[in-house]
Amino acid sequence: MNIVTKNAPHLRRPNATVVRMMRDVSIALTPLIVFAIYQHGVDALLILLAAVLSMVATEYVYYQIKDFMERKREAKSETEEKIRELNWQKKEKKKALKEKTQKAREDYEAFMKDYEQRMASLRETLKEENRAAKKSDNKSFRLANRSFTIYNFTIITSGLIYGLTLPDTIPLSKVIVGGVVGALLAKLVFGGMGQNIFNPAAFARVFVVLSFGAALSYEAFVDADAGATAMSVLNEQMFNAGVVDNYDYWMLFSGIGLPGSLGETSALLILVGGIYLAARRSFDIVVPITYIGTVFLLSLTVMFTQDLGFWFPAVHVLGGGLLFGAVFMATDPITSPVTRPGRIYFAFGLGVLTFLIRLFGNLPEGVVFAILIMNMFVPALDYAKWAKSRFTVRSVLVFSIVVVLAIVITNVGVYYVA
Amino acid sequence: MITNSRRVKDYKQLDRELPTLRHVDPDYIYINLQNARAKEYTLDVEVGDHVKLGEILGRRKGKFFEQPIYSTVSGVIEGRTNKYHSSGDEVECLIVRNDFKDTYHESITDRPDSVIEQFTQEDFVEIIKEKGLVGLGGSGFPSYIKLNTDKDIHTVVINAVECEPYLSSDYRLIKDQPEDIFRGLTYLMRAVDATRGVIAVKKTKKELVEVLEREISRFSDWNIQIATLDDFYPQGWENMTFENAVGIKVPVGTLPMEYGILGFNVSTTASVYEAVKHNLPIIKRHLTVNGDAVNFPQDIRARVGTSVRELIELSDGYTDEEKVEVIVGGPMMGESIESDDIVVTQTTTSILVLKSVDYVEEPCVRCASCVYACPVDIQPVQIMNAVKREDKESARALEADKCIECGLCAYVCTSKIHVTDYVREAMKMLR
Repeated sequence: MNIVTKNAPHLRRPNATVVRMMRDVSIALTPLIVFAIYQHGVDALLILLAAVLSMVATEYVYYQIKDFMERKREAKSETEEKIRELNWQKKEKKKALKEKTQKAREDYEAFMKDYEQRMASLRETLKEENRAAKKSDNKSFRLANRSFTIYNFTIITSGLIYGLTLPDTIPLSKVIVGGVVGALLAKLVFGGMGQNIFNPAAFARVFVVLSFGAALSYEAFVDADAGATAMSVLNEQMFNAGVVDNYDYWMLFSGIGLPGSLGETSALLILVGGIYLAARRSFDIVVPITYIGTVFLLSLTVMFTQDLGFWFPAVHVLGGGLLFGAVFMATDPITSPVTRPGRIYFAFGLGVLTFLIRLFGNLPEGVVFAILIMNMFVPALDYAKWAKSRFTVRSVLVFSIVVVLAIVITNVGVYYVA
Repeated sequence: MITNSRRVKDYKQLDRELPTLRHVDPDYIYINLQNARAKEYTLDVEVGDHVKLGEILGRRKGKFFEQPIYSTVSGVIEGRTNKYHSSGDEVECLIVRNDFKDTYHESITDRPDSVIEQFTQEDFVEIIKEKGLVGLGGSGFPSYIKLNTDKDIHTVVINAVECEPYLSSDYRLIKDQPEDIFRGLTYLMRAVDATRGVIAVKKTKKELVEVLEREISRFSDWNIQIATLDDFYPQGWENMTFENAVGIKVPVGTLPMEYGILGFNVSTTASVYEAVKHNLPIIKRHLTVNGDAVNFPQDIRARVGTSVRELIELSDGYTDEEKVEVIVGGPMMGESIESDDIVVTQTTTSILVLKSVDYVEEPCVRCASCVYACPVDIQPVQIMNAVKREDKESARALEADKCIECGLCAYVCTSKIHVTDYVREAMKMLR
C-alpha cells in the first residue's frame, strides 16, 4: 500500500462523463430513427448509416494519419536511425558501383556480405521495441487511439443528427460527401472534440443544401400535393392559410405521413427525446425553451399585426426543423456559450434568425443557418469582460430592449413584404 | 448533470448510525507546538516533568495572536518528535506519556451560573482567548478575535450544516451533546448582546432537527431558531449559510460582522460552553474516520494529540488497496497528507482514507457544469482557458480571485479535468 498526495477535491461526480452526455443524445434520437425507418423504409436506414459511417470513417482516417505523422516527427528511435543509415550506405555503394572500378566492387561485396544479417537483426530489435512500447502505454483501443473520439459518442451523435436532417430522396453519394466535409472542415481542422466552432452536423447539412440543394434537396417537394413541407409552402406564400388544410394539427404534431426530413417531422418524438435529456440533465433545457419560445413569440406578434389565425405560430413551431434543431442541435455544448445568460442570448438569437430567414429568406428553412451564424457569436457572448454567470439589472434591461427591437423589426419587415 | 450540479453524493450512511466510539486513552499523546497559523512557540516545561490535564505547556505565537498550549492528558513529558499536521506540513510535537489517572489541573473548576450571568463581552473574550479556542470547522481562526468585535451584532449563527461528503462528526456531536451547544450559543449571544440565535442544519438530517427541536423548549427564554437548509454543496460555506439561514447576503471579501452577523461552527460552540462553564480547554473532539479504503468507518471521540495511525488501526486498518490518499478534512477541500503519521489537532474534523483513482482527462466539451455549479458565480472553464493562454487580463476580468476553492468545479467536470487546480493557478497568477 502506498500513500499518495493529490490536490483537493479528492472526489469526482460518479457518472458525470462526456460519454454519458453524448450517449444520452444518441438514446434520445432512437425513437426518431425508428420512426424515420418506419416512415421511409430502408432508404432512411441507408442514409443514416451513410451519414454516421462517413463521419466516423473521416475522423478515423484523419487521426490515423495524424498519429502516424506525429510518430514520425517525434524523436526516432536509435534502431530506426541505424536502419536508415544502413540503407543509405547501401545506396551509396550501389551508386559507386556504376563507375565500374575494382575497388567499388570489392567494397560493395564486402558490404553486402553481412548486410542482410545486420538488417534482419535490426528489424527484429525494432519490432521488439515497438511491442514493448505498445505494452507499456497503449493498453486498450481507447488509449491506442487517444485522439479518436468514437468511444465517447461525439462523432456518432453528430452523424446521427446530420443524417436525420436530410430528406429521404437524397442519393447516398451526396450524404457521404456532406459527412466527410462536415467532419473534416467543421470539426477536425479546428482540433477535434471540444475545439470546433461550428456544429459539424449543421455544417454538413448546410454544405449539402448549398452544394446540391437546387438539384435534389427540395426538388421532390415543390409539388404541393406530393411532398411539399409546410415550411416550403409558406416560403412560396407567406400567409397561405391553406397550409393547415393540407396538414392538420395532429399530423403536424405526430409527424405521421408528413413530408420532410427524416427526423424532424415528428414533434411528439422530439419532445420525448427532449424530456429524456432534460430528466437526465444532459442539456440545459433553457436553450430549447428560449429558442422555441422566441419563434413562437415572434410569429404570435406577426399573427396579431397581420390578422392571421393561430395556425401561423403553430405551423412555425411544429412545421419545420425548429423543434429538432432546438432540442438536438442548439444544445450542443461545444458550440454554445458557457454561461446561462449567454445561452439564453444565444437561443434568442437563434430564434430571431430562424424566423427572419424563414420569412424573408430564399430557403424554406432557417434553423441550420441560424445555428451556424450564432455559432460565430459564441466567442463574443463568452468574452471575459462581459460574460457573467447571473443576470444583472443592466443585462436584463439591455436584453429586454433587444427583444422589443427584434419584435418591431420583424413586424416592420413583414409589413413591407406583405 | 449539467444543471442542478450542486448536489453532491454524501456517502454518510455507513458511519452515521453507529454510536460514537470513545477513544480517549492512548499510551502516548503528541501535542503540536506549531500549527498553520503559528510557527513560533515558547515552552514552560521540560522533559521529565509531570504535567496535569489542562496544564499550560507553553505558548504558540502567530503573526497577530498568541495562544497557550494545553496538555490534554496527565502524564510525563518524554521528549519531542516531528509529526504531520492537518495543513500538510511537519510540525514539532511534544510527547506526553499517559499515566491514565486524568488528574485535572487546579485551574479547572466549574463556574457557577450566577457568575456567568454577570459576565461582559470582555470577560468572555478573555476566557476564550486564554483557553485558546479556534474555529473548529477546520479554519483554525482564533475565536476571540471574532468575538471581540465592536460592531453591533444582532444574530449569532451556529453552522451545523457539515456539507462535505463523508463527514459526520458534527452530526454525532449534536446527537451526543445538544445541551452543550445550546448553552454555548447562549453564552455567545450574551457576549455580543445578540437578540437572535440561529442554528443552521440540513433539511435532510431529520434526526438532528428532532433533537434540536426537543432541546429548544428548554431554552424558551432565548430567541433561538432552527434554520433547515437545502442539501447541496457548499451550503456550509459561511456566506452561503448566512444567506440561506438568515437571508443576509454577505459579499465575498467583506466580514459578516459588518452586517450584524457572527458565525461559529457547532463544535466551536460546544467548546465555548466547556471553556466558560468548566474552564476547560479543548481536550477531546469528535472526528470521523471514513473513506472507501478503511475497513470500519466510524465516528470517534478522541483526545487532541492522538496519533492518527492509532485511530486508523482502531477502525480495522486499511483495505487492500494499492494506492490510497490520507486526507485531513473533507474530501472536497481537505489536505492530502504524504504519510499517516499525523497528529489530531483541535481543527481535525476527520481523517479520510480514500482509494486513489487516476482519472483520465478528456478534452473540455464546454458543458458548463462548472459554471452552473460555482457558488461564487465565476466561470471556471473560462479561467482555465485564460490560464492555458497565460492571459492575466482575462483571468482578472473573470474575477478568478473570488474563488473559495470549494472544489465543486473539478467535482462536477464531465471531462474529469482538475479545474480547481487551474483556478488556483489563476489566483497565483493574479497575486
